[in-house]
Amino acid sequence: MKLTRRGFFVLSSAILSSIILKDKSHATSGKYATLIDITRCDGCSNEPLPKCVLACRVQNKVRFPEPKKPIIPYWPRKTYEDWSDKKEKIDTLTPYNWIFVQKLQIKGKEIFIPRRCMHCDNPPCVRGCPFGALTKRPAGNSVINEKICFGGAKCRDVCPWFIPQRQAGVGIYLHLLPKFAGGGVMYKCDLCKDKIEKGEEPACVVACKDRLKEKSVFLFGERKTIYELARQRAKDEGLFIYGDKQNGGTSTLYLSKVSFDDINKALIEKRERFKMPVEVKNKIQTTFNPIGKVVISSGFLSIIGAVVAAIISKHKEKGGDENGR
Amino acid sequence: MAGKIKRHSIIEILEHWILAISGIILIFTGLGCLPLFKRYYIAEIPGLAWTGDFNTVTTVHYIASIFFVMAVSFHIFYHGIRGEFGLLPKRGDFGQSIKVLSAMFGIGEEPPSDKYLPEQRLAYVGMGIVIVVITLTGIIKVLKNLEWIVLSPNVESINTVIHTLSGFVFMIAFVIHVGIVICFKSNWPLLKSMFTGWIDEDYVKQRHSLWYKKIKNEISEMEK
Repeated sequence: MKLTRRGFFVLSSAILSSIILKDKSHATSGKYATLIDITRCDGCSNEPLPKCVLACRVQNKVRFPEPKKPIIPYWPRKTYEDWSDKKEKIDTLTPYNWIFVQKLQIKGKEIFIPRRCMHCDNPPCVRGCPFGALTKRPAGNSVINEKICFGGAKCRDVCPWFIPQRQAGVGIYLHLLPKFAGGGVMYKCDLCKDKIEKGEEPACVVACKDRLKEKSVFLFGERKTIYELARQRAKDEGLFIYGDKQNGGTSTLYLSKVSFDDINKALIEKRERFKMPVEVKNKIQTTFNPIGKVVISSGFLSIIGAVVAAIISKHKEKGGDENGR
Repeated sequence: MAGKIKRHSIIEILEHWILAISGIILIFTGLGCLPLFKRYYIAEIPGLAWTGDFNTVTTVHYIASIFFVMAVSFHIFYHGIRGEFGLLPKRGDFGQSIKVLSAMFGIGEEPPSDKYLPEQRLAYVGMGIVIVVITLTGIIKVLKNLEWIVLSPNVESINTVIHTLSGFVFMIAFVIHVGIVICFKSNWPLLKSMFTGWIDEDYVKQRHSLWYKKIKNEISEMEK
């Protein structure tokens, strides 16, 4: 078969696009979303521990870190982050607990809020990781690759909710310069990536559904459907939504009877590590991208300037040579 | 200018220094984009608290990249169209470079050179490849953040790793480049010429004798 030059370009473009633009329709916002209806959550008060928390721990147990001890401190600091002695802790996020339920008292009412990664549409953790250890999957979940994570914890610093948690004494950094660079591996919810790739629901969702049936706190499904349902219910029942606008949009929506301003105030008063600020700007969209546009346009202008300057200078030199003769 | 020979045009000087200054800022802020400055107390040095904030460091990184990308694109297109390829390696440059470097350490005699030393031509290509890789992967990162292109997760990861690793190579190459200029007295006139554009005729006669011959031939041709 003879391949023409045009054919070659068409074929190359098709191959390149299939690599680069893989599943474009879902690559930015993601295919799925989760609705967490906190008007229905009772924190599994009649259970030994919340069902969503238990299901998550069971599902991900095989992936929990097994640190090599003794753990070397992060030189020149004398500290390191080790949760391996607190594996049973369930009232916060840890490398061994990727979802937890916050309990609040607001105006005499008890509120329970399951908390885990929001799976942002444009996640700063994914965009900021210098080692490409985090990826945003077409399903909408952001995933940490524990094999290449250095545990620098930048993802936690740039996360508006400080979700990823670090365990020292594990990971690739141990094979390079463990004393001087890296700090372990970061852990967080990845929406049960293997399950959702198979078309199943995340473990927390399944566990909640098993307990509360149609009154389940969690609802997982096509993003469009979840967004429409959340907005409709917010309108019909006068509920507040969280997660649709924060950080430029996320794949996790909360519905609440109490405003999220009040919830966040209560979280601040309670000195909780994980808050729910209503104003969450996505720095990539608000700060970096406007400068990025200048980078691209100034590059193009520079090329145009170079071409014009080169032609003019060559023309002048040619004129000079001819005059010299 | 009596006793002086023009070595660099104002355009070359501007290209060099814009690239150098933006390159230094990019290396510094690039290191800041790694979680290093807080851990190593850099952010606690008075005036450097901003280096502990990833958003600020990334903003400065982006701003510096405007100038870096401009200088790189201008350099490639301006000199490419003008057909100025004197800095590209020639056959035998590797062997000649070893002789030049040995001579810097007082071993043997330096071979006669054209306008650029053979090791400069090799270093130019090496540095050039790293700069092109770093620039392209950086631009891809910018385009991806703008969502003007959508990358598959693996391609995005690979692009990020290449950008970070080529950043390290650029930093090492940068240190070697500056080190060779500063540490060897024989290179100091070259540094001076990177500011003024001019170089002593005696220096050219002695170190760039092939270039000197070409200049003299050109002058005698013009006089004819």
